[in-house]
Amino acid sequence: MSEHEQYLAEKEKIDQLLSEGYNIYHAVENLDGAFVEFFHLKSGTKKTLHIRTANARKYFSSIFIQQKSS
Amino acid sequence: MADLSINLAGIKSPNPFWLASAPPTNSGYQVQRAFEAGWGGAVWKTLGDPILNVSSRFAAINFNGQRVAGFNNIELITDRPLDVNLKEIYETKKRFPNHAIIASLMVEPKQEKWHEIVKRVEDVGVDGLELNFGCPHGMAERGMGSASGQVPSLVEKQTYWVKEAAKTPVIVKLTPNITDITVTAEAAVNGGADAISMINTINSLMGVDLDTWNTIPHVAGKGAHGGYCGPAVKPIALNMVAECARNPRISVPISGIGGISNWQDAVEFILMGAAGVQVCTAAMHHGFRIVEDMIEGLDHYLDSKNISAVSELIGKSVPRYSDWGNLDLHYNITAQINTDVCINCNKCHIACEDTSHQCIDMIKGDNGRSYLKVREEDCVGCNLCAIVCPVEGAITMVEQTSMQPMTWNERQAALNSSK
Repeated sequence: MSEHEQYLAEKEKIDQLLSEGYNIYHAVENLDGAFVEFFHLKSGTKKTLHIRTANARKYFSSIFIQQKSS
Repeated sequence: MADLSINLAGIKSPNPFWLASAPPTNSGYQVQRAFEAGWGGAVWKTLGDPILNVSSRFAAINFNGQRVAGFNNIELITDRPLDVNLKEIYETKKRFPNHAIIASLMVEPKQEKWHEIVKRVEDVGVDGLELNFGCPHGMAERGMGSASGQVPSLVEKQTYWVKEAAKTPVIVKLTPNITDITVTAEAAVNGGADAISMINTINSLMGVDLDTWNTIPHVAGKGAHGGYCGPAVKPIALNMVAECARNPRISVPISGIGGISNWQDAVEFILMGAAGVQVCTAAMHHGFRIVEDMIEGLDHYLDSKNISAVSELIGKSVPRYSDWGNLDLHYNITAQINTDVCINCNKCHIACEDTSHQCIDMIKGDNGRSYLKVREEDCVGCNLCAIVCPVEGAITMVEQTSMQPMTWNERQAALNSSK
């Protein structure tokens, strides 16, 4: 799988959670990439995605900034 | 014609092109010929206790057919007595009253030494002083030049001593042989400098002769490091000028120096904050008359931009220069290959495949002919293919639509706030 395809796969996972009503509330970055924690306000459910590609790490960051500003 | 005159910290000259303190400004004969050719000012070759020079002083690097891509010298300051230089400065200023003559000075870091030379030099009518805290060879071994210029407290103290005695504007010339030039620039400002100039030459060894194993140049079989200048150092100098120009604590005009070879180079330095420029290597390579093209080119450029005075250009690009953390992470460009122009040399494919991001494919078309194509989704916009491409216009970097701008600093602030 090319890096672009990996990015699209990771983006799809992020978009899926967002479409289900999850919001990003926390992210931890380390040597292995970013562990992005999502929270569903109504159900109180938490989910974590391990985001590896650079473009997906940019993508979730922008979503996070948008969510914070709104 | 646009107004090309400048006023750098009170030093006026008919155009922004000055000869830097160096071999071209060693004598009245030379400076007067330079003014006749059109140079707006000259920084006289550094005055101080007359020195002794060695023979075999210069060397140059030729790169891929370009002569003098970089230039190196181990010549020291003036070897002529001060009174001889002063007499010629007086005569030159008398003959060219509207041209700027700046005296470059270098003495031991002692208050009385600075006071003495400042008074004697100003008595003959110079328009300003430039303190040589930059020469990296020879004089530095005696505690002067860059040896002084690398110690912020010495820069500040000596500038202060000069300002105690000086009646004309004082420019402090800085060495690039230091990690952060803004530190010594600030020291100069704190010492009372009216302006700063940069860069002086960079420590260098030009080469080693593979047959004799001697250094290039060598003096009877021995070498010593010299000062590097010329076109090769321009990017280093331009960055240092820009770093000082965007530093709010460095509030004095800048005289830009370092590899300036034509009017385009000069405009770049002026856009990045220089109020004027100094030239040496290009004049040594091509003679004083290069200034004619510089003046004409700058004038046409200003006219083409509907700008009436060169002073309006100063610092216009400085707000566009920032820290990496303020760059937009979502800005996205990708390479596009124009197959009508491409000669299929394959250099872009090799460069991308071996050393970058493996996104250029050699594809066989229906007609059996091969062509190169960029997989845009995998292209990171590094520019390498366009850089190595030998055909102008064959590869274009094209802006792509992207998300809302987001800088690293904004991103980290957001992530940190979630902790």
